Amino acid sequence: MRIRPIVHADIEDLLQIARETGVGFTSLPDNREFLEAKLAHTRATFERHSHGAAPSAADEPELYFFVLEDDSPEGANRIAGCCAIEARVGLDTPFYNYRVGRMSHSSVQLGLHRTIDTLFLSSDHTGDAEVCSLYLRPEYRRDRNGVLLSKSRWLFMASFRALFPERVLAEMRGVFDEQHQSPFWECLGRHFFPMDFRDADRLTGLGQKSFIGELMPKFPIYTPFLSEAARACIGQVHEHTRPALAMLKKEGLRWEGYIDIFDGGPTVESYLDDVLAVRDSRTVTIDIAEGLPSEERTSWLAATFKAPDDFRAAWVGRAPTGDILMVTPEEARRLGAVSGEPLRILSA
Amino acid sequence: MLVVRPAQPGDLPALERLAGNAMPRLTNLPAHRDRLEERIARSSRSLASQIDYPGDEIYSFVLEDCPGNASSGDIVGTASIRAQAGGSEAYYTYRQETLIHASQQLDVRREVQVLSLSHELSEVTLLCALTLDERYKDTSAHYLLRRARLMFIAQYPERFADTVAVAMPGYLDADNLSPFWESVGRHFFDRSFQEMNAFAGVRSKSFIAEVMPQFPLYLPLLTPEARASIGREHPLHETALADFIAEGFRRSRHVDIFDAGPILKAERAKLHGIAQCGWHPVRIRPEQSLPDAELALVANQRLDGFRCLLARYALTPTGQLMLSPEQAERLDVEEGRAVLVTPLKLLDADEGEL
Repeated sequence: MRIRPIVHADIEDLLQIARETGVGFTSLPDNREFLEAKLAHTRATFERHSHGAAPSAADEPELYFFVLEDDSPEGANRIAGCCAIEARVGLDTPFYNYRVGRMSHSSVQLGLHRTIDTLFLSSDHTGDAEVCSLYLRPEYRRDRNGVLLSKSRWLFMASFRALFPERVLAEMRGVFDEQHQSPFWECLGRHFFPMDFRDADRLTGLGQKSFIGELMPKFPIYTPFLSEAARACIGQVHEHTRPALAMLKKEGLRWEGYIDIFDGGPTVESYLDDVLAVRDSRTVTIDIAEGLPSEERTSWLAATFKAPDDFRAAWVGRAPTGDILMVTPEEARRLGAVSGEPLRILSA
Repeated sequence: MLVVRPAQPGDLPALERLAGNAMPRLTNLPAHRDRLEERIARSSRSLASQIDYPGDEIYSFVLEDCPGNASSGDIVGTASIRAQAGGSEAYYTYRQETLIHASQQLDVRREVQVLSLSHELSEVTLLCALTLDERYKDTSAHYLLRRARLMFIAQYPERFADTVAVAMPGYLDADNLSPFWESVGRHFFDRSFQEMNAFAGVRSKSFIAEVMPQFPLYLPLLTPEARASIGREHPLHETALADFIAEGFRRSRHVDIFDAGPILKAERAKLHGIAQCGWHPVRIRPEQSLPDAELALVANQRLDGFRCLLARYALTPTGQLMLSPEQAERLDVEEGRAVLVTPLKLLDADEGEL
């Protein structure tokens, strides 16, 4: 299994994945035209930087989209999942969040001091990087493939640090009830958007977000006016999203009080240089040899990084020795690496 | 005979009793001896001061029912005027506003109702704190007490604003709860409406206003009961509201911040009690020789000796108002002195706009 940049030929697999992901997976709508445009966008990004990591123009929206490819003989290069990094959100279309702020309502004369949680519409994250679009097909939810998908992005960002801004975020899917309804949406969004959550979410996924700014309440929302069920959704994730959230938290991403305007799900964030995987990854030199022993449980990730478009990431069977990482010819092929080439590695 | 006059220190026990019996309790008239004593003193100061433009003054009046020839009687009602609703503080109201949320992309246009905290009415003159003994409700005494204030305002325009407002007590349900307060204010100041109201009366309404939500409230997020209370008067004040409308007041966009009761507004000069009043010299005639005529409010020209009572609007051919000796005495006017007169019944009792 290996991570590589997506290419045009992956479009059918991507469409298949979009069909599988369903509602709430905003960034992968089941829409060929849209996905083709997305593919074109990410290809343009990779190709812009194909001759090494030239510093990016800070006002360009850039998308790095990767796929997890099954390169085993029986896998026939099937696409097992995907993940992406948006280099700077909010540059072409607005990026909205609610910030859960606190307003003090206090009076000495009344003997009163209380703080009221209040939702403030914000575009504070404009210009930040976002890790997004992570999906792993059910049949591949094994052998630490999820970790590979998730962490390969940190390897990429560490390798091409100059392409990314100071901060990074991830939006987590919010809570839905047994009827697949979002209590947060039913209590808040529904009053302002003449559509159901699915449609609102679909439009957002398609990047057609101008309606949000047009229809959203612009003034802060006092949370005591929301139903108990809606308040309980604030900053909470869908149960299927808990493992992903746990993984991001382990890297050091934290909920700083920003939530999704539709489902109330948390946005977790960090300074990119503080992300553990970015901080702890290091470069070694690759050495290829036959018949190396492999660990039973893979614990080292490695990536080649000659240029963004040449980026490949995969598990390798053993720890480095000093500044040398010994790999098998098969692992080298998987990574597209030759002996003596630098690799970025991470213990995971 | 019923007479409206400025409140005096001796009226304190009566005011306390009236305040305690008010239904619902009035924020502007706390049943609190010290506050009422201050109120009377402040009113006396306001009357004694040279005033060139409206400020922090309050003018409080009482309705006295003097039997027969007695020089004094029972205090059966009270009403006040705040020269400026906010006085030295701000007068907080919620202003009902409509925002258009339209999306070209989706081809939709939505009207979203919000309540925005406003200080816009801080400088209008406010008629307030009216309460009346139950036995006199909806009688001519009620009109006299309510409208006598306009006779006062008409005479001393420099003391009042060009706009006059009145805040009607808001809707309370069968359990005496304000649905609006329960849905809105209570989240921010966790006391019952009655407790809050008592506090506001004794201390200051703006203390509480300052801890209320400062950002606009989206109506769709309020409970249906709270939404239905917005601009709705207390059931016991429906008639009073209709009378104010007949006087020339109109419902404004503003409502009370605690109970969402309607706030009525009018240009002072357009109120019937003011627009229709006229000066007439007094002609004193024996009571039995006074011709029958429609009832009118008659006020003297005195400031701290202000008196207003009901008399027949009977004029001599030369335009003198015929009053009985007793009426003239009550008004403290002698023959030939001018009095201000306005018909008691409102001629143009049209429906108010919503």
